[in-house]
Amino acid sequence: MANPMISRLTALPSGLRVFALRRFSPSILTSTFAPNSQHLAGRRHHGTESSSPNAASSSVNQTEVSHFNTLASEWWDPHGSSRLLHLMNPLRHDFIRQCLRQDASHDPSKKIRYMDIGCGGGIFAESAARLSNTASVTGIDPTPQVFAVAKRHQRTDPYLLEKNPETGEPRLKYLNTSIEGLVDHPKETNFDIISLFEVIEHIQRPSPFLQACLQHLKPGGWLIGSTMARTNTSWFTTKFVAEEVLKMVPRGTHDWNQYIQPEELRSWARTQPDLAASSGTGWHVMGVVYVPGLGWREINGSETWGNYFFAMQKRI
Amino acid sequence: MASPMLLKRLLVLPPALRRSFWSSPSRNQQALPEIYDVVCVGGGPAGLSFVSALKVHPATRHLKIALIDSQQLKAARGQDETLFSNRCSSLTPSSVRFLRNIGAWNHIDESRTAPYHVMDVWDGVSGSKIHFNPADDQSFGIADALAMLVPGNRFSGGRKPYTTDASGEIIATMCENTNLTTALLERLRGGDAAKLTTMDSTKVDSIELGPTPESEEALDLSLWPVVTTSQGQIAARLLVGADGANSPVRQFADIPSPGWDYNQHGVVATLDVDQSFSQHDLRTAYQRFLPTGPIALLPLPNKKASLVWSNTVQNASKLKQLAPDAFVAMVNAAFRLLPADIDYMLEHTDPSQLVSEVSWRISNTTASETGMPSTLPQAIGVQNNTAASFPLKMRHASTYTGHRVALVGDAAHTMHPLAGQGLNLGLADAEALAKKIVYGVEHGMDIGSCWCLDGYNSERWAANNAMLGVVDKLQKLYGVSSGPVVWGRTLGLEIVNRLGPLKGALMGAAAGSR
Ligand SMILES: Cc1cc2nc3c(=O)[nH]c(=O)nc-3n(C[C@H](O)[C@H](O)[C@H](O)COP(=O)(O)OP(=O)(O)OC[C@H]3O[C@@H](n4cnc5c(N)ncnc54)[C@H](O)[C@@H]3O)c2cc1C
Repeated sequence: MANPMISRLTALPSGLRVFALRRFSPSILTSTFAPNSQHLAGRRHHGTESSSPNAASSSVNQTEVSHFNTLASEWWDPHGSSRLLHLMNPLRHDFIRQCLRQDASHDPSKKIRYMDIGCGGGIFAESAARLSNTASVTGIDPTPQVFAVAKRHQRTDPYLLEKNPETGEPRLKYLNTSIEGLVDHPKETNFDIISLFEVIEHIQRPSPFLQACLQHLKPGGWLIGSTMARTNTSWFTTKFVAEEVLKMVPRGTHDWNQYIQPEELRSWARTQPDLAASSGTGWHVMGVVYVPGLGWREINGSETWGNYFFAMQKRI
Repeated sequence: MASPMLLKRLLVLPPALRRSFWSSPSRNQQALPEIYDVVCVGGGPAGLSFVSALKVHPATRHLKIALIDSQQLKAARGQDETLFSNRCSSLTPSSVRFLRNIGAWNHIDESRTAPYHVMDVWDGVSGSKIHFNPADDQSFGIADALAMLVPGNRFSGGRKPYTTDASGEIIATMCENTNLTTALLERLRGGDAAKLTTMDSTKVDSIELGPTPESEEALDLSLWPVVTTSQGQIAARLLVGADGANSPVRQFADIPSPGWDYNQHGVVATLDVDQSFSQHDLRTAYQRFLPTGPIALLPLPNKKASLVWSNTVQNASKLKQLAPDAFVAMVNAAFRLLPADIDYMLEHTDPSQLVSEVSWRISNTTASETGMPSTLPQAIGVQNNTAASFPLKMRHASTYTGHRVALVGDAAHTMHPLAGQGLNLGLADAEALAKKIVYGVEHGMDIGSCWCLDGYNSERWAANNAMLGVVDKLQKLYGVSSGPVVWGRTLGLEIVNRLGPLKGALMGAAAGSR
């Protein structure tokens, strides 16, 4: 039972809790990317370039995949290890709405097509598919067990099994594939929103990975995600407390060196010809903190030390 | 309470679910039930206001809702301005605000309602009293008035003059339950009733979990409640129990509802009184605590008043059998005589002698002995067939939510009527649950899931529990007729300390109640 864990967890200061968010959604990770020299600037300055010398052939960390499998069944347990993710989910929608509201090119009457990369058990994908202004959602995850969890849970909601009467497309579909595998699904492109929640910290070479995501976005579409800053606090909470002290998640779940600072992400985005990240409206970041008793709250400035959302818009 | 958290966890899946794993694979072949977003069992004040709240909000208007009640849901408001129902409730300002927000208050026949501005409450044994007027302090509510009964609290002085800016000064508005439910029904019919299926005169026969799916790919309703009525089967994404104290929905979800019976009955009646209140009078509600239970006289329009008299079961049945003039005499006696005299009259006086006996004793009892307020009207008649009684009990469900289940109103809690809060808490539940559902829909939640419902439970359970505790303690405190508790009531000795936490709870509940 995770219950004693939760109560121990809630006794900890908020900063320590963010770790429970570290899903082990490695997703995407079985790719066979060609090596790409365009690494995120400065992201290795804490060491461990050594972690994966043969990463040239994959953006995925296989060890992470196996950790994830052991936890796949926990996705939908209200008191399981995904609890904080469920609690954070509404904020994801608030953040997306905020980005679209400030986007002059966005037509609110048009229904949105989403792709959720590293969809895991479907927490975000299901919720996006239920929104009244959604045309369709495609969730992809390369881990077969996770894909199975998502599919099974989808069956418990008749609405999610329906086709959208306006487009004839299924409201929600899952594909058991990495992003590279999408070449086999030529229709899965031109999305309005591609989401990457709690994913990039598990990616060994984020730059080619993010570029691959952008290819599936329509011009003017948004790449939206969340992750956690790389700080002493995050090392302490996710590596030391979560893995060593509470043993709540298996050791090795997180590679702290893969955490990315928001500024690093933005610098990278500015170098991308596809992105409109230099202007204020094409780039957004929002720091969020779990406040005991209140839940997740937006806290200005917390993006540099806690969890944060980011959004980057593809050029029109 | 031991641990609502723990219970909540246990109840995330109703234990009924476990049963389903052992039973009835034979249902597989059946056609799937029709699917609804919300199935609300119970069209009383709580259920109707909950459904109305969903129907007026843009985010939830489109939800496919079924409303089921075993009774006929029709306009039942009285038309005759000289006749009033014996089931009246005092609506707090926050209840009225909610009813306004959902567009139901416009449909209330206000000529049949009576706001009151002052409460006179006194202790039948010691005579100590409080005169409560919210103009003294804008942040006060009924519960504060009662809090003042707790010794050590301040003793308020003279009556404040009535001011025309009365909106903030209304303690509560007396309203017949039928006036309220009729308004809610009219609101529902007048509004965009699309996607609302009303199944009235339809009893819920059973509630079970859905069939196990036929294949690995098929829709899986095995954790969905399926409601069977004479009209067929319907499945509920969210099943709302607004089905009163014996809630079948609560039983389906196997949610325990512990509590106790007071061994009292509430005698209600519609009375004629000797003074009328004009539009601009300051109306007063009166309540006297007697060892056998509190008696309250609440104003209605046109020289009418609503009686709620909590009494022992035997006394209640005696009262109901009295002839109208003897009944009226006893009501006057209960407000005016010493408790021992009242008991004596009920137990030993020949009913035919009651009227003369009461008037003789009243003339020989001074108001200074009993603490009776000088403005107290005299009952002069009782409306035919309105004397009735209800058993009084206290129950509180250990949680208001389970997987695809939520409870509102009396299904979740039943309390002693001495604070006139039962229906108000139910309306507050309806408002809070509808709000969570709006948030859930706006954020893509499955509205039957704990992610959507947990907040409702934590918000309302604690608030209601505080109120239930206060009302229960007052009932017990004032049910004592002699000894230290009474001295304490009067003098504020010792008991003040013991009731410290109680006072705190009262204030908290009051803040929420307005
Ligand atoms: C003497 C007395 C005085 C009171 N005074 C006050 C007061 O002054 N102020 C106040 O706020 N409250 C007062 N109350 C409390 C108030 O009356 C109740 O709290 C209120 O009526 C509860 O509303 P509800 O909608 O939750 O339940 P109910 O009004 O009990 O409605 C439940 C509905 O569910 C339906 N139902 C039940 N079972 C089934 C089934 N199997 N199938 C289909 N339908 C079903 C019933 O037909 C009913 O319509 C008083 C109560 C009493 C007894």
